[in-house]
Amino acid sequence: MTVAAGIGYALVALGPSLSLFLALISKKPFLILTLLSSTLVWLMSLIVMSALSRAFLPLKTTVWWPYTILILTSVGFQEALRILFWKVYKKLEDILDAFADRVSKPRLFMTDKMQIALAGGLGHGVAHAVFFCLGLLTPAFGPATYYVEKCPKMPFFLVSAIIALAFATIHTFSMVIAFSGYEEGNKVDQCFAPVVHFIAGMLTLINLAFGGCTISIPLLYCVAIVTLVHCGKMAWRRLIENRSREGNLSNSQ
Amino acid sequence: MDENSKPKSVLDSLGEEIVRIITPVSICMLLVVILVTVLNNDTDSSNPSFTSIATVAYNESSSDSNWDKLKGALLNALVFVVVVTVVTFLLVLLFYFRCTEFLKYYMGFSSFLVLGFTGGEIAIFLIGKFRVPIDCVSFGLILFNFTVVGVLAVFMSKMAIVVTQGYLVVIAVLVAYWFTMLPEWTTWVLLVAMALHDLAAVLLPGGPLRLLVELAMSRDEDIPALVYEARPVIDRESVPRGGFVQRRVWRERRENEFGSDENLDSSSNLNSNVNSISESRSVLERRPLYGSDENERNAVDMEDGQVSREDSELAAPLIQHRINVRMNLQEGSNDDFALEGIGLGSSGAIKLGLGDFIFYSVLVARAAMYDFMTVYACYLAIIAGLGITLMLLAFYQKALPALPVSVLLDHWLRDPITQRLRGFVSVTEILPAVLVLVLSDVSPCRQKSQDLHSSKGLTLKTTDTITRVKTWNDFYLNDEAFMRQMLSDSHGLNFCHEKSINNEKGVNQNDLTGQN
Repeated sequence: MTVAAGIGYALVALGPSLSLFLALISKKPFLILTLLSSTLVWLMSLIVMSALSRAFLPLKTTVWWPYTILILTSVGFQEALRILFWKVYKKLEDILDAFADRVSKPRLFMTDKMQIALAGGLGHGVAHAVFFCLGLLTPAFGPATYYVEKCPKMPFFLVSAIIALAFATIHTFSMVIAFSGYEEGNKVDQCFAPVVHFIAGMLTLINLAFGGCTISIPLLYCVAIVTLVHCGKMAWRRLIENRSREGNLSNSQ
Repeated sequence: MDENSKPKSVLDSLGEEIVRIITPVSICMLLVVILVTVLNNDTDSSNPSFTSIATVAYNESSSDSNWDKLKGALLNALVFVVVVTVVTFLLVLLFYFRCTEFLKYYMGFSSFLVLGFTGGEIAIFLIGKFRVPIDCVSFGLILFNFTVVGVLAVFMSKMAIVVTQGYLVVIAVLVAYWFTMLPEWTTWVLLVAMALHDLAAVLLPGGPLRLLVELAMSRDEDIPALVYEARPVIDRESVPRGGFVQRRVWRERRENEFGSDENLDSSSNLNSNVNSISESRSVLERRPLYGSDENERNAVDMEDGQVSREDSELAAPLIQHRINVRMNLQEGSNDDFALEGIGLGSSGAIKLGLGDFIFYSVLVARAAMYDFMTVYACYLAIIAGLGITLMLLAFYQKALPALPVSVLLDHWLRDPITQRLRGFVSVTEILPAVLVLVLSDVSPCRQKSQDLHSSKGLTLKTTDTITRVKTWNDFYLNDEAFMRQMLSDSHGLNFCHEKSINNEKGVNQNDLTGQN
């Protein structure tokens, strides 16, 4: 309903991502490139998955468990892609360190690495939000709105925007957690991202039931908040360790 | 905060040049998509009364069969390409007779037409759509002022580079929007035909653009062209090696004859082509800086003197940057040059021809007429292609010093090299195009019929591949030439000249808007 509402829905889905972008990423061109490339990678994974599952769709079942298989395969594929992303990132890190040595600048700081991971995750989150929310928003710029039967209390566009926001958050910060898990070899962190992704995917299945969105959306936000908190604690811990290590180094010199 | 006391990380300035090119391309695409969605909401099909040189043979209507549309589109494209070829030969002729001034003024005139008439037309559409209360006299005055400032900014005099860049983007937006008003099949076939024509005109021995470039290179002049030049990145922190700083002075183009330059040091022959008008499709060029060791200082001083002396229409350059680079080739500066050339180092300006802007924007705008997901995917594919092209160019710039044989030999060797490298490039460039192709088939929100999309996807793929190959090819040719120059160290600072691909953008504006 009207341009204002359309822009409002878009901002609900992408507002925090936009502020993250403006605050952190727009200042460093490399992070912008990372964001664009991770968006592209996510898009390509979607295309590949949709091509693969074209044989099975649309699922004309009334029971819900075939959707579970679908979500399982999709999440598995995307997590495999995350591991691939990590490997590419390691190579890139080597190149960047070599470059830094040549221009006699310091090597990548830990905050730099976390920023790259954040940019990668943000790319995933933005891609998800654009695809699953902004793509559907074109009718919202018109004079009317649309309600779904199974979720009659809120307009469809608002529901999709809220869900997209939750997923964007989850994607963004689980990438940071996953990368630091791979780097440190921390098993908990490594498994955190796939598990959280899968749980979030399953929670959206509740939307298929009548009135399900009133249950699933708060639960989804609980998952997002858990991701945020875990990421914050992990980052804080690593920063403190790093600072104490640097303090030890400078003390011993 | 802690961070202010930390030394600047390498991440702060890496990749800045690429972003400085991607940003205006994105802005241009965004503006065209917005224009298309705002102005084309009511009629999805082509306007039947739209006549131009591109629809002179056949005017598409939605009731024709697909085969008729294809035939008509081919006919249209043929007519267009023939006109473009004739005009390009005319341009070569004029350039041969050293009518560069005339060309320059003609380019200015045609951009006046684009900004004035096409811009005015679109402004009138917008005024009609949004019911802006403005009267003719004010509108005419504002439009005239806007146009004149635009022509001055792009061609005639020095202005803040932001103004020049802004006007170039506006010109690209206007021309791209104009192209989207063509009937659909004609647009796709026209894009493919123009890409093929570019390839032919540049690579065939009798091709007009090849003649033009060879003329320009032999005379050591610039071809008038419309080129977007991103501001160069200045690295203030790099430590000079060997105790003094190698400088690159990036200056505006001088209009004097080149006969008077021979007594000057070769470094003063730098042309930065900011003011050069170009037929600029698929021209992608880096401008590394360099000077010879011994007479470097002298070069700079002489250049300063040079600048102040010949000031006729080019004022003292407002955009004179001094950029530090390490250039000692003998000392294994291959690595340094590599890091310069990764494209992520801080060196010189990247230039992208306006034709590329227009091409990308037309692609994206056509996609915008169907569905936003296609727009999004097209945008990502184009940016990916552009980024990969830039990286590859920079990467292979690294390989060039490692190929001394081919570099030192005659410049005709560039053909086999480009043959080999073209294969490599086309693989990575096909990827975005394939992406778009697949996505157009897989997108869930389409409303159009199936055959439309499959044809669109197919042509997109071909066009993208060819154009990308071409972009890279031209760039490689340019850089190889300059690399050769640099290594020989004699006229080390004669830049390779841009390839002017087509002029039809500049000239045909006149024809097209004249007929509108």
